[in-house]
Amino acid sequence: MAKLESLGKVISTDILIIGGGIAGLSAAIIAKEMSPDVDVLIVDKASSGWGGKANKGGGNIAYVDPKDSVDEFVEYHVHNIGCFLEDQELLRAYAEESRGNLDRLESWGVHIFRDEDGNPKYIRWTEGLPWRMAVIDQDVTLNMLQHSKKQGTRFIDRVAMIDLLQDGNRVVGGIGFSIIDGTCYIIKAKAIILANGDQNYRLMRRWSSGRGDGVAAAYRAGAQMRNAEFGNFINWIFVDSRDVCQGAEDVLYNAKGKHITKSIRPAIEADLHSKEVVAWWKEMKAGNGPIYANMAENKILNEIVPAFHSNALAVRPIATAFWDRTIGKAMSAATKKGPMQEVIPGFIGEQAPVRVNHQMTTTLPGLLAIGDVSWAGSAWQGAVPPPGRMRGTGLGNAVFSGARGGTAVVKYASKAAPAKVNPAQAEALKESMFAPLKRRSGIQAQELVRAIQDVMSPVGNSICMRKERLEKALGRVLEIKAKLPELCAKDWHYLSACNEVKSMVTSAEMFFRASIERKESRGWFMREDYPEMDNKKWLKWIIIQNRKGEMVISTEDVPIERYPIKA
Amino acid sequence: MNTIKIDMDLCSGCKTCYDACFVNVFRWNKEEDIPIVAYPEDCVECNKCELACPVNAIAVIPDFKSIYWPPVV
Repeated sequence: MAKLESLGKVISTDILIIGGGIAGLSAAIIAKEMSPDVDVLIVDKASSGWGGKANKGGGNIAYVDPKDSVDEFVEYHVHNIGCFLEDQELLRAYAEESRGNLDRLESWGVHIFRDEDGNPKYIRWTEGLPWRMAVIDQDVTLNMLQHSKKQGTRFIDRVAMIDLLQDGNRVVGGIGFSIIDGTCYIIKAKAIILANGDQNYRLMRRWSSGRGDGVAAAYRAGAQMRNAEFGNFINWIFVDSRDVCQGAEDVLYNAKGKHITKSIRPAIEADLHSKEVVAWWKEMKAGNGPIYANMAENKILNEIVPAFHSNALAVRPIATAFWDRTIGKAMSAATKKGPMQEVIPGFIGEQAPVRVNHQMTTTLPGLLAIGDVSWAGSAWQGAVPPPGRMRGTGLGNAVFSGARGGTAVVKYASKAAPAKVNPAQAEALKESMFAPLKRRSGIQAQELVRAIQDVMSPVGNSICMRKERLEKALGRVLEIKAKLPELCAKDWHYLSACNEVKSMVTSAEMFFRASIERKESRGWFMREDYPEMDNKKWLKWIIIQNRKGEMVISTEDVPIERYPIKA
Repeated sequence: MNTIKIDMDLCSGCKTCYDACFVNVFRWNKEEDIPIVAYPEDCVECNKCELACPVNAIAVIPDFKSIYWPPVV
């Protein structure tokens, strides 16, 4: 048996955090606040502070103010967003902790914009919604990175962590490689936090950061998954640029000039809904396409977004430059002038199924999961993919789960025995990880990435679902899965892409298996053959677990009797 | 494929673009202390490198027409 040191660079730490976005940085900062002497190491596939979505997204954080009613918020959410599939206790905890988390962010160097009385400046997406959105600039993670460095957290960039090392069930480290020089990294840790995002299938352009590496690593290690079927988020995109067309959902017209979403969305809602995508799909199938967004009537883009980005609310130079530059370039690509712009549903996915408890601990000892890795697996948002139908919960959940996970991981690590890594296990994982580099010929990662995208993107497969189509799609995913052993890579950059496509296949298989299982429609999840919500049979969470290589599905009753809002 | 143009006369070698790219398009030429646009096919026109460059040496020129998009219906 090889000695561990002969396999690569061996590093020991108390707490290993994989992913240096807003969630991972939140957990690291909290861990250091709780225990300044604890050794924290963040490893990122690119650069900590620059990855994730916080520096490319909308820059808003959903919170419930003490002046608002938490009861009203929970009731609204359960009836209108999560549709009774929420863990209502964790939903309440989010609401109760969200305002304090803004103060936390500020103490970490993030600029929270405040009014004359010191209260956070906020906006509501539409009047009447029982939560507020505070705004931040896109330097949030860079500010947190500086704070975290001052606390003494260590960072390693450009190392892709591929698999988890285990001592029995307990997770005791991770194994990965440098994408720059191919060095194998074996990191031993008393506890590990996954904070490397959800599954976006590399499709939506600048929001494509989530590659599901943490989800797939947790699955392979045997952690339970929950709500994998809520991994089919979309956004409307312009055909000409593939960039997002905000507000299209309310102003969709078919080629005959008929408004196709007015009857199902008489007023502006909290966010997109899959029902508009179903309406689009039916029109296309009926030969009434293409479908256009009438930009002249686009109230969200013409009124709400400008208010959201106005200097009166907050002067955000980095976000403003980002939006001006990216949207400006996209709009310049429009081939057709005028208000009617062709749009299509752009599949994003956002599958985030790693199951965690209220302390963000997975079902494996020593392994926690925060941010988008466990957004749906924590179940606090119910029957929706992230960011659900509640704008601002991507960042809000990152801080919420990061703070809870950072607290829990210190407690665990303080009592845990030193990590004991089995060299034989590390050697086997290393061999598997580097296998595509050893093949002189085979399949390029991009070929399988596109094959998976071809299965996930069609609305009939992933939004307006039906048994026959789901089974066919699953069959196609399994064909792609069978080709994974043929992947080849010419360098470490492409080796990372090979690993990513393996993660995509795992996510896609979980999505279709769970979607076949849920025989109802609920929240975002729409089955053409089971169009009604079925509280008698399907007030359940679908659980997925890897048992000796087999993807095993089971269900678990939502403990609705324990919760205040009954179905 | 997108084009990433770097004006090497302006580049100060600060490495900000190298850090800013979340899809690892850049590599670093240690001898000359300048960025290498090594994997432009992975660029997703987030423009972070262009926006973060302190001397405005970078231009990201998106090629929207070449973006592969799978079937949607």
